[in-house]
Amino acid sequence: MKLVALDDRAGAEGLFIGQNVTDARALVANLELREIDRGYVEQKFAEFADWHSNASPLVSILSDQAPWGDLVLDITGVEHLFGGEHAMLDMLVQRLSALGIAAVGAVAPTIGLAWALAHCTQQRVVEYDEVSAALAGLPVAALRLHSDQVERLKHLGLKQIGQLYNRDRRSLRARFGAPLLLRLDQALGHIEEQFVPRLPATEHFSERHFADPIGLIDDVLMTARDLAFRLASKLEAEALGAQTFHLFLYRVDHKVMTLSVNAASPTRDATHIARLFAYRAERLSGEYEAGFGIDLIRLGASSTSPISEQQLGAFDAEDGTSSVIELYDRMTSRLGALGVVRHSFVDSHVPERAVRLEPVIAAPIKAKPLPPIRAPRPLRLLPQPEPIEAAFAQIPDGAPPSMIWRRVHYRFVRSSGPERLRAEWSLAHKKLMLTEETANAAKAAKQLEQYYGEGRNTRDYFIAEDEAGRRFWIFREGLFEVTATPKWFLHGFFA
Amino acid sequence: MQGLSKQQALDQLRSRIERIEKKPPLAEASSRSTGELSLLATPRGVIHEIFGDTQLEAGNTLGFALAQSRPLLGRDRPAVIILQLGPDGRELGVPYGLGFKSFGIDPEAVVFGRMDNPIDLLWAMEEAIACRAVAAVVADIATPIKALDFTASRRLSLRAAASGCSAFLIRYTREREASAARFRWRLVSALSQPPPFDAHAPGRPRWQVTLEKGSLDGRRVSAAPGGEVFLVDWTERGLERVATDGRRGRAQRPAPLSVPLPAAMGDGLSQAS
Repeated sequence: MKLVALDDRAGAEGLFIGQNVTDARALVANLELREIDRGYVEQKFAEFADWHSNASPLVSILSDQAPWGDLVLDITGVEHLFGGEHAMLDMLVQRLSALGIAAVGAVAPTIGLAWALAHCTQQRVVEYDEVSAALAGLPVAALRLHSDQVERLKHLGLKQIGQLYNRDRRSLRARFGAPLLLRLDQALGHIEEQFVPRLPATEHFSERHFADPIGLIDDVLMTARDLAFRLASKLEAEALGAQTFHLFLYRVDHKVMTLSVNAASPTRDATHIARLFAYRAERLSGEYEAGFGIDLIRLGASSTSPISEQQLGAFDAEDGTSSVIELYDRMTSRLGALGVVRHSFVDSHVPERAVRLEPVIAAPIKAKPLPPIRAPRPLRLLPQPEPIEAAFAQIPDGAPPSMIWRRVHYRFVRSSGPERLRAEWSLAHKKLMLTEETANAAKAAKQLEQYYGEGRNTRDYFIAEDEAGRRFWIFREGLFEVTATPKWFLHGFFA
Repeated sequence: MQGLSKQQALDQLRSRIERIEKKPPLAEASSRSTGELSLLATPRGVIHEIFGDTQLEAGNTLGFALAQSRPLLGRDRPAVIILQLGPDGRELGVPYGLGFKSFGIDPEAVVFGRMDNPIDLLWAMEEAIACRAVAAVVADIATPIKALDFTASRRLSLRAAASGCSAFLIRYTREREASAARFRWRLVSALSQPPPFDAHAPGRPRWQVTLEKGSLDGRRVSAAPGGEVFLVDWTERGLERVATDGRRGRAQRPAPLSVPLPAAMGDGLSQAS
C-alpha cells in the first residue's frame, strides 16, 4: 500500500507521495492513516468540476491518467471576458488556492500540450506557433503514456519528446505501438482530441450573478423569466428558435444543478419558456436543494434552428392558449415526456403490438400507409389480457355461452367471431408473454418454445355480448387440435 | 301597468324571466354544431359528468363521450385529449386507437395523458380546458378525487366557458354529489338489436341515456323523476333514437333516410321511463 496524499506536516517529516506505508510508519511514529474512498473522491471531484463552468461552459475531466485531478476547460472565445489568457489562468488558479486547493494550470492550443505543461513544467501560456518548440523540451512521460512504455523509451535513450520528431514513424509504431504516435499527434495538434463536456453545451445563453446568494425556488423562477426575455432577444437578433433550454444553477459551495425543458417546435417566446420552467420546477419537489445559496444562474439554449418572424393578431390573447403545441409543451414539462403520448400505428396484426405510444413532442415519423383493419376493434384494451374461465364452448370454433371474470359470472346472449390472428412467425423466438406466469413457464420448458408451433399461439377472437348489453372482446389461445387445453382471455371492451 | 297590483307585476316579471331562461342565450345558439342534426347535441364550453353504475360501463361511457365530442372537432379545434391515471388503465382498460374509427374520430387527433396522481390529473384538465385549440377533454375518474369539489368544478366550468372547450368527466358510481357541471348523464348499456344478416351477433351499441341535470335545446328537464331518458343507438350518422317496442323480429331495416329524423318527431313515441 502506498501513500497518495499528505498534509504539510507529513511532508515536512520527509514523507513523499508513492512511499510505502510500512516505510512511512517506520519513519514517523504517530502517523494517522486513512484509506482512500475512490468512488467518493471521484464523485466529489466531478461535482466540483461542474462549478468551473462559470468560467467557461465547456469543462471536462481528463481521466486518462487518473480518475480525478485533471480538468480541461475549453476557453476558445471566452478568454476576452476575463482579460486575456494570462489573466484568466491566473484568476482560475488563484481562486482555487483561495479555497485551499493547490493547482497548476497551463493554456495551450491542444489538450495534450496543456496537460504536459501543467504536469511537467510551471504555469505557461503557449501560442499556436510555439507548440512544437514547447513540446520538444518536455520528457516523454508528459505524453500520457503507460509507465512501462515510458521505461522502454528511456531504455532506448529517447528521453525527450524532441527526439521523437525526426524518427521514422513506421519503426516507432512497430516498436511502441500506435498509442505513442496518437499521443504525439494529438499533442502537436495534427489529430483532434475528442472533448466531451460534462454539462450540455449551449450555443446561446444569458446569465445573472447575485451579490447575495438566493435560495428560494420562486426567486430562481423569477430570475429565469428575466433571463428568458434576454435570451429571447438574443435569439431574435439571429432569427433563431431553440427546442431545448437548460437552466444552470451554480451554488455557493461549488455544485451545479441543471434543469432542462424541451419544446416540440423551435420557439423563442419568453413567456412560454418561463412557464415551461415553472411547471418543470413543480416536478422537482424533493431534488431541489439550494445548499448555502445560488450565486449564478445561467439560461442556455441548444438545438437551435432558424425560424421566421411571426405576425400576431391585434386582438389575440398573448397567453399561449391558442396553440395546441404549446399546450403539449406545458403538459410535457409537468408530466414528463411519457406522460403525454399519442398513438402511432405499427404494421402488426397482433392487437397489443399494433399500436405504439410515442411522446407528443417527438416529431411524428411519416410511416407508409398501413393496410386497413376491417374487423371491429374495441374501444378499450386491457394492457395485459386477463384469464377467464369459459367452459362449454362449441368445439372447434364456437364462442362460450358464459364466462367467469374477476369472480363474477356473465352470461352471453350474443356473440360473433372468430377472428383468427396467428402469432407472428418472425418473432417466434421472442414469444409474446401474456402474463408473468407464462413467462416463467416458458423459461422452464425452453426446448419446446424454440420453434414456431402452428396453432399453439393462434388466437381466435370473439365479440360477446351479455344480457345487459355490455360487449367484451375475448379470445382463445391455441387451437383445439394442437393444444390439449386452450386458455381463454379477456382483452378489451366495446362501447 | 298601474292597474296591476304589486304582486301581479312581480308574477309577470317572474314569468318573463322564466321564458328568457328557457331560450338558449344567443352566443350558445350560434356555436352549436350545425350540419348534421344530432340528437343530444350540447353547446360548446360546458362541463359534462357521465355516470356509469360500475366499472363495467367503461367502454360505454368512453364511447358516449367520444360521440359527444365528434361534432365539436373543427379546423381550429383539432385536438381531443383523454386523461387517465396509470393504475386505472389496468383496471378499466386503456383507450385503444384502432377502435376510434367507428366513432368517426381520427386517432391521430387524440392525445393521451397518463398521470400518477389525481392532482396531476386535475392540473392537466385545467390546462387543457383553458386552451382554445382543444375541442374536448375526456377524463376517467375511477376513484373520487377529494380535490374535485364544488369550487373546483365551478372553476373548471368558468374556464370552459371562457375558452369554449368542453370537458367530460367519467365516473363509475351510483352516488351523486354536488358539482357545478352543467350536464349530468347516466349511461346504462342495453341489449342491442342484432344485424339483419345474423340474428345471433351483437349489433350496434345501444345505450339507455338519462339526462339527470341540464337541458337540451333550452327545454327544461321534464317532470319525470330522475330526468329525461333516451334509448339510443350509435350509428355512423350519430345517435339515433330507438322505439321502445324495439324492432325485434323485423327482417329488414327501413331504407336509410338522407336526413336523420329530427328529434322533435321522437316526442310522440312512448319512452322507457
